[in-house]
Amino acid sequence: MEVLVVNIQGLSTNPGDLPNLQNILKQAHDSLHAESIRLLPLLDMLDPSLHSLGFLYILEACTSSALSKEQASAVVLPTARFMNSCSKEQIQLAPEKFISVCKRFKDYVMQLEAPMRGVAPMLAAIRKIQSSSEHLTPLHPEFLVLCLLSKCYKAGLSILDEDIFEVDQPKDLLLYCYYGGMICIGQKHFRKALELLHNVVTAPTSVITAIAVEAYKKYILVSLIHNGQFSTSLPKYTSSVAQRNLKNICQPYIELANSYTTGKIADFESVAQKHREKFDNDNNLGLVKQAISSMYKRNIQRLTQTYLTLSLQDIANSVQLNSAKEAEMHVLQMIQDGEIFATINQKDGMVSFLEDPEQYKSCGMIERIDSSIQRIMALSRKLTTMNENISCDPMYLAKVGRERQRFDFDDFDPVPQRFNI
Amino acid sequence: MEFSPLSSALASKSYERIADICDDIMLQVAAEGVSFQEDWPYAIHLLGHIYAGDINSMRFLWKSMPSAVKENNPEVQAAWRIGQKLWVRDYVGVYEAIRGFNWSQEAQGLVAAFSDHYTKKMFQLLQSAYSTISIQDTSLFLNMNEDDVKNYVQQQGWIVDPASQMITVKKRPIVTEQKLNPSKLHSLTEYVFHLEH
Repeated sequence: MEVLVVNIQGLSTNPGDLPNLQNILKQAHDSLHAESIRLLPLLDMLDPSLHSLGFLYILEACTSSALSKEQASAVVLPTARFMNSCSKEQIQLAPEKFISVCKRFKDYVMQLEAPMRGVAPMLAAIRKIQSSSEHLTPLHPEFLVLCLLSKCYKAGLSILDEDIFEVDQPKDLLLYCYYGGMICIGQKHFRKALELLHNVVTAPTSVITAIAVEAYKKYILVSLIHNGQFSTSLPKYTSSVAQRNLKNICQPYIELANSYTTGKIADFESVAQKHREKFDNDNNLGLVKQAISSMYKRNIQRLTQTYLTLSLQDIANSVQLNSAKEAEMHVLQMIQDGEIFATINQKDGMVSFLEDPEQYKSCGMIERIDSSIQRIMALSRKLTTMNENISCDPMYLAKVGRERQRFDFDDFDPVPQRFNI
Repeated sequence: MEFSPLSSALASKSYERIADICDDIMLQVAAEGVSFQEDWPYAIHLLGHIYAGDINSMRFLWKSMPSAVKENNPEVQAAWRIGQKLWVRDYVGVYEAIRGFNWSQEAQGLVAAFSDHYTKKMFQLLQSAYSTISIQDTSLFLNMNEDDVKNYVQQQGWIVDPASQMITVKKRPIVTEQKLNPSKLHSLTEYVFHLEH
């Protein structure tokens, strides 16, 4: 083992030596795994930022077998420091090992019931293993889980702002979107939550996964809270297995959504009460309560479509609030949140509903529209490149060639399957 | 635990940065495995979130605190009470929560700054939401006694009618910038090019 350490220390500085070092480490793989946690003291002789590759192999061997709570506790801190300070170039030579180490690290902090310990190191690890900020790694969902469990929702938001174009494993994307949706719900970013949950529900798949089912349940509730409505028909690009089965599995939620559209709060509350235990088991009771509060808002918003002015007492009666003062507070809160444009006249006890004063003529609005157009143009360019890449892909051409119809006589050349000359 | 960024932010009254600084330090300290909950300045941390208007993060911080710390720390409980009032939108209750505690020297600056900031925001809300409002309600919403409130709103151009005890609100005219920039012409050319191809 001492020889190994000397090799690591010697061969880590020059990038040209790294492939040689990696071969040595691969050959030592079995003997390292045989020693496992007993290798821990060796790590003290290495520097995690200079000798990252060697450190990684030894750390991976240390954690390869099941560890007791004390052993896990001993290895957590060196691993956290490693994730923070390792050299990106070196660990990218052995990405699967790095990912295994990070995943085990997450298991240990969960075992120690201290998820907050893992948040900062996991974020650092994502930055080391990512090939670009558009790359979704298997560590993204692990990070989001740690944020959720330690209640560091704001830390999770930073990752969710990045657009993803490259994914390693579909399951990572599904989990990322589901956990990301939960974080957005916690921070009340309902529009983004809907987007993320929508991706899980409509993802191409040949089987119904538990992730898709749970995502659909939250999707229904968030849709009611944010949009005031829910449509049971899924978009055309949803997988057929999801279209056939999701609604049946989530029947109580569909029932709840249907009673929301009537606008009668008492009916909605009785459906919520009827299935209360189910919602509680799914941890969705909080969302159901938010949906109930949002009904008052929808009902007041509906009034703006019929009336120009209305008395506070009439609002209270029509929306089933207890008093004019309560109605006044509801309207005031909606004005504060920008959900309604109105002015309250306390002298006469009346509310006047107004038009949205936005005329879309200001510089600020132009900036917003501009940046949206730029984003869409960049997206369009990416799609064109992807389209070009796929049209050159041999597997695609072979499939198209087989299915091609022969209409014209001129069109008789088959697409080359193999280039035999 | 290295708290100098926090102390310098408090000293320079950059209160809007307190929450982020506290969040960062907390994650770093947790990553080192140090048990920090006993000594952590939770009251300042909560107040930092309250000042930044991030009530959601404030609630989650409260939920993640060990119950022993909550029970033994009256200032933390007082900060939580302010947050609670903001959460349920008890506009007047916020002032009561601020007044109802003898804040430590460290927290005083932050609480006073928040109180001013909150009063200004309430004034803007009243201006946009009401055409007429009673003197009594205005003084509750702005945390002033009735004479002070009459002077304050009259300075802003609002009209006080002592007979009906009502104030007529003067709206602020909304001025939006509408100047166009020559670089916009360049952007428009880009868009048309993109659409053509």
